[in-house]
Amino acid sequence: MRSFVWLAALLSLFLFAQPASALDDAKAKQVMTNAVDGYIRPAYKDFHEKAAALVSETGKFCAAPDEDGLKVVQARFAETVASWGHIEFLREGPVMEQNRLERILFYPDRKSTGLKQVQALLANPDDGVTDATKLKDRSVAIQGLGAFEFLFHGAYPEAIVSENDPFRCRYGLAIAGNVEIIAGELQVAWDAPDGIAKDWKNPSANNPIYRDSKEAVSALIGIAVHGVEMVRDQRIKHFYKGRDAKVSPKLAVYWRSGLTMTALAANVDGLAKFWKAADFGAIMDPDMGSLADSADFDLRAAADALDKMEQPTAERLKDDTYLKKIDFIEFNLRDAMIRIDKDVGGAVGLGAGFSFADGD
Amino acid sequence: MIPPVISKRGFLKAAGAGFAASLLPRQADALVKTDAVFAAAFMAKDESYGVALLSEQGREISRIALPDRGHDVCFDTTSPRAVAFARRPGTFALVFDTQTGKPVKLIEAAEDRHFFGHGVFSPDGKLLYVSENDFDNYAGMIGLYDVRSGYRKVGEFPAHGMDTHDIQLIEGGRYLAIANGGIKQHPDSGRAKLNINHMEPSLVIVDLADGRLVEKHDMPDNIRQLSTRHMDMDAQGRVWFGCQFEGARNRHPQLLGSFRRGEDMRFIDIPELVLKGFDNYVGSVTVNRDAGLVAISSPQGGQWAAFETDTGKLAYEERIPGVCGLAREERLFMRSTENGEFGAAKSELAWDNHITRLR
Repeated sequence: MRSFVWLAALLSLFLFAQPASALDDAKAKQVMTNAVDGYIRPAYKDFHEKAAALVSETGKFCAAPDEDGLKVVQARFAETVASWGHIEFLREGPVMEQNRLERILFYPDRKSTGLKQVQALLANPDDGVTDATKLKDRSVAIQGLGAFEFLFHGAYPEAIVSENDPFRCRYGLAIAGNVEIIAGELQVAWDAPDGIAKDWKNPSANNPIYRDSKEAVSALIGIAVHGVEMVRDQRIKHFYKGRDAKVSPKLAVYWRSGLTMTALAANVDGLAKFWKAADFGAIMDPDMGSLADSADFDLRAAADALDKMEQPTAERLKDDTYLKKIDFIEFNLRDAMIRIDKDVGGAVGLGAGFSFADGD
Repeated sequence: MIPPVISKRGFLKAAGAGFAASLLPRQADALVKTDAVFAAAFMAKDESYGVALLSEQGREISRIALPDRGHDVCFDTTSPRAVAFARRPGTFALVFDTQTGKPVKLIEAAEDRHFFGHGVFSPDGKLLYVSENDFDNYAGMIGLYDVRSGYRKVGEFPAHGMDTHDIQLIEGGRYLAIANGGIKQHPDSGRAKLNINHMEPSLVIVDLADGRLVEKHDMPDNIRQLSTRHMDMDAQGRVWFGCQFEGARNRHPQLLGSFRRGEDMRFIDIPELVLKGFDNYVGSVTVNRDAGLVAISSPQGGQWAAFETDTGKLAYEERIPGVCGLAREERLFMRSTENGEFGAAKSELAWDNHITRLR
């Protein structure tokens, strides 16, 4: 939760950094276009496709449940989790409207609100939650990937295969449908010719989001920094706070399905691809372009390491070799964050303020 | 779960020993001689945080370390005590002695609460009211801390809104005015704003005798994204509030208004060019009662301006990059910036949003 580390770093930059060259509007616009068309829109499209595949396979499974079908559903779920993980860091635009972010994944859920509500529904089935189009009006904790995970990976998953519990399957299908609806809304919003993509790519005085190149590029850098911060503070630290702290493997995201590291690897891989696609080097002086590459290197190293990590269990979180790998990942994330905001931000002449930052 | 901001149990001890909190003789002399004493939170070049006492010339008299980034400072009019609050979503408030510069007590928020950066002492100095977040329920709360029992939390009441920020005593301390910013946030989501398209900002008055809601002023639908954040009271008892607009960047709603118990809130008409100069962001609101002026500032826009409290007429405007802190001076206002300026003085400290004039 050390939300201010990057701001602090930016302050140092603002107060003490070396002079930077002025931002070139045309190049900044290209970076925004790269980010939007080269990463954000394809990522939302992929999420929509994966969510649709989850709906399709869940529907087939519910019609004729068996062990093989369950495995297919679980595989489609893993793909959906990974796809969402690739764009989850983007907390701007339509995903922040209509509670979409929380409706897709209600996490962290420190008081197990989602679990309790889903268990209550299983104990006392309510057909009102089996209609995907109406699920949006229910608690955000029961309509997203976390709830789906509990139904298809939680306690007694065999119940869903037995046909003795059709409600569980119909509810799961509705969740998948709900996620697909949200994913579709996101894709439509980002693909709209006169929508958010246009505003992001064309900063101007009359633009409702970014009024100049500096605002736009600054926001893009902020997204990357906040994204790294999210992985470190809102994902890893929930199950591992350090060598001397209590470990909490069951607080890890998607721990029931064993997809924790799948999600985290997707998060960082997404950040690395987002950073690469935006191509910040284009707006930096040629002799400073390597600063953007350094951030890319750090993100890539963390993503690759996460991709090889096994699920964080209580035993593994006591294992020195395993913990060293997490330390290595955290080191690279920390380094990436500093390089992005201090080095790259400074090189393109940006410095988010200290007092105002993101409002207070 | 919120990681505790203060992991060091010995912070007070360390602060007293390691940060030269107590005044050197020359500094103590300066404190006695200066007519005005200001307090403001800062971040130092080494990215450490603190609160400083400053003279009317903006010269530093004393520095008190904070465990993390601070925000506002409030003081007790009956004793030499002031409190520096953590910036949201921080969980500490540091009580310090304004005469010696020594830290007195580190208050920690309850496990399921964090502070919002503002508080106020009761007129008799017996209670400290603090704006807090019941984050699991997205509900603003007012925490009550008993000064005589070592700032023990003795109660709380609802702020009747979310994202509670500044609080002000009104009508001699019988009522409390509360600015609820209306933005849904949770420490588990960092500082992400989770309800920008359906914000619920409000201005509230509660009766301090029992915490009863007296009035609630919601923002009209067309300016629902106008987050009410900071306040100050003028000589006539009107509460002036400054806002931050979270909507489209090409809209420029009015940002400064006033209200009082029994009357609707009203905005003043800031001339368009000046209004745009605030960049939809007011970071500080301060009244100079003697001068009959209310000032607002915007570090985002790099501008501050003062308006007559009687007429709402623009009285003064100035562009200063990074300006935010404001405090009354004899005729106008002391200003501070995130670039190290404090009045005419300049240092390597980045000043936070607010200046509190202790005397």
